[in-house]
Amino acid sequence: MLLRAAIVLLTIGVLFAVFCLVPPAEGLGYYVRLAFFHIPVAWVAVLAFLMSAYYGVRYLSKQELLLDRLSAASIRLGFIFVLLATLSGALFSKLTWGAYWNWDPRQTTIFVLLLIYGAYLTLRSALSGADRARRARVCAVYALFSFLTVPFLVFIVPRLYFSLHPQPVLNAAGHIDMEPVMLATLLAALLDATCIYLYFLYRGVKELPAGGKRHE
Amino acid sequence: MEIALQDVGQAYGERWLFRHITAQFRPGTITAVTGPNGSGKSTLLRICARLAAPVEGKVTVTEGERPLVKADYRERLALVTPELRFYPCLTAWENMSFLLGLRGQELSPACYSELLSRVGLQEARLRGVLAGSLSTGQRQRLKLAVLLASEAQGWLLDEPGANLDASGRALVMGEARKHAERGGLVLWATNDEREEAAANACIDLGRSEAGL
Amino acid sequence: MHASTWAGVKLVFRKEAVSALRFRAAWAAMFMFALTTLACVSLALSGARLAAPLAAALLWVILFFASVAGADRVFAEEDTSGTLLALRVYGGAQAVLLGKMLYTFVLLLALGVFTVPLFLVFLDMTVASPLLLAMACVLGLAGVAAAGTLIAALTVGAAANSGLFAVLLLPVILPVFLPAISLTAAAFGAGEASLAYLGGLVLYDGILAVGASVLFDYLWYEE
Repeated sequence: MLLRAAIVLLTIGVLFAVFCLVPPAEGLGYYVRLAFFHIPVAWVAVLAFLMSAYYGVRYLSKQELLLDRLSAASIRLGFIFVLLATLSGALFSKLTWGAYWNWDPRQTTIFVLLLIYGAYLTLRSALSGADRARRARVCAVYALFSFLTVPFLVFIVPRLYFSLHPQPVLNAAGHIDMEPVMLATLLAALLDATCIYLYFLYRGVKELPAGGKRHE
Repeated sequence: MEIALQDVGQAYGERWLFRHITAQFRPGTITAVTGPNGSGKSTLLRICARLAAPVEGKVTVTEGERPLVKADYRERLALVTPELRFYPCLTAWENMSFLLGLRGQELSPACYSELLSRVGLQEARLRGVLAGSLSTGQRQRLKLAVLLASEAQGWLLDEPGANLDASGRALVMGEARKHAERGGLVLWATNDEREEAAANACIDLGRSEAGL
Repeated sequence: MHASTWAGVKLVFRKEAVSALRFRAAWAAMFMFALTTLACVSLALSGARLAAPLAAALLWVILFFASVAGADRVFAEEDTSGTLLALRVYGGAQAVLLGKMLYTFVLLLALGVFTVPLFLVFLDMTVASPLLLAMACVLGLAGVAAAGTLIAALTVGAAANSGLFAVLLLPVILPVFLPAISLTAAAFGAGEASLAYLGGLVLYDGILAVGASVLFDYLWYEE
């Protein structure tokens, strides 16, 4: 209860900061507000993937179904966040560079993540007939196997697409000369999104392995 | 090798097949697993073979003090169950030498024909015949041949007398007895009273379910 | 590798090869799929020339889906014919995985040898660097074999597993797919080939094979 109140307060604080304190950025104007939604959501999309792989490893070594449910709940939440990140990113991209999609490195990364999340959820629903231990095992193995793409996404995609799209566009967004107030707001927004994710992750597992609700 | 079940239960969806099974299987004994159709005999055998995980409870396998896990355990097992199938595109000889080869055992032609005659099959009639076109009785006898050849310590038999005539069932019983005397461990799912009587111990799944 | 594992790998490989020679439907479907797609593409283009990058992408899309049609059966077939149980009881995890992986690789190489020349003929492509094309194909298909064998084991017993296999395989194989396309495009004469891609492909094939080998143990022994 206390936790929920804290998260709500933090969210209100972040919203207030985004709409009242953050000055328009040069070249971006008030579109910069979208970044305070987009960056935290994208961060959680990545975090959820790491967490699900972590719980996958723990499941394979301990075989407690709770760990499997955590891993799956993390993927379900991550799927919502990755969708939000993709949509907000496309919107941001349209507003600033004039195209919804241009396959720059980070868009590629987030898109691969979206594919992995989707594949995991499809696999899980296709295995609903199998016994739970087997489903848990198979899902954990897939979460870990798809995790092998991470070095590729981090080290190779930027190079691969750098050569095809010479202008490193999105990086500019993250590294605009940050004023202290913007940096603080961004950090608060990151914290807020992480808390929302963790809250739904553990709450969802405590009650039922259901998908998390939207919360903003 | 010793297999211990501790409070094992298996469920399909909401329905418990069996629960609270605690038992120990020791070398040199034949344990019968009995119960009506659908009481979970085959499932219990699969759990004992660690081919499936139980919903609750634990299966531990030890040899002396050492726990046997994964390949170490599986290498010591041989199964005869209705679900066991041979590769339909391979001949009897190819099937047998493949399966035994995976265990690192070389099957010599002499050994092969001796095994076949031990289980009542004629080598000449199997030559060049793909396993897919063998009769059910022949396939059952071929499974027994693989079991005998495997040198496995633990035998998990699921209705091994199925599809066999009287002489075939007597053969199974005799071989199981001999295996137990050599210090092997036999788990035997059956509905046949004579086979049950030949066992040293018995787990009745029908009764354990009634106790829920 | 352990000597006995290697013996097991050879046994599994030989078993797969003998079964495939006696029961041709599995791989015949794969080759026919490749041929049909190629013919479709060629007809649709009706003789128009394709730019090198586009042709490279097209070639890999055909190779990917054709290999999906062949590689997804490697465990499913054992499951439907009921032989998976015998294999699980008698075969060690690594022997089975690596044997099947090797077989899949050889099968996919045959697919490549069949498809690529036909593709070149149908679409009237000129190859600037045949060696580079061959290397891109071999390394790309090796990645598909490495990842595909593990994914095929995951989809055993899953409902609707034919579409599922491609869905699961694609994100994992992208790191192989994209450099392979770039290299193929370079082999068709578009830009310079980067040796880094070649190295990356080799590295990633290795990562996939090792990852599959480590994870497969958990699928084979359920404890």
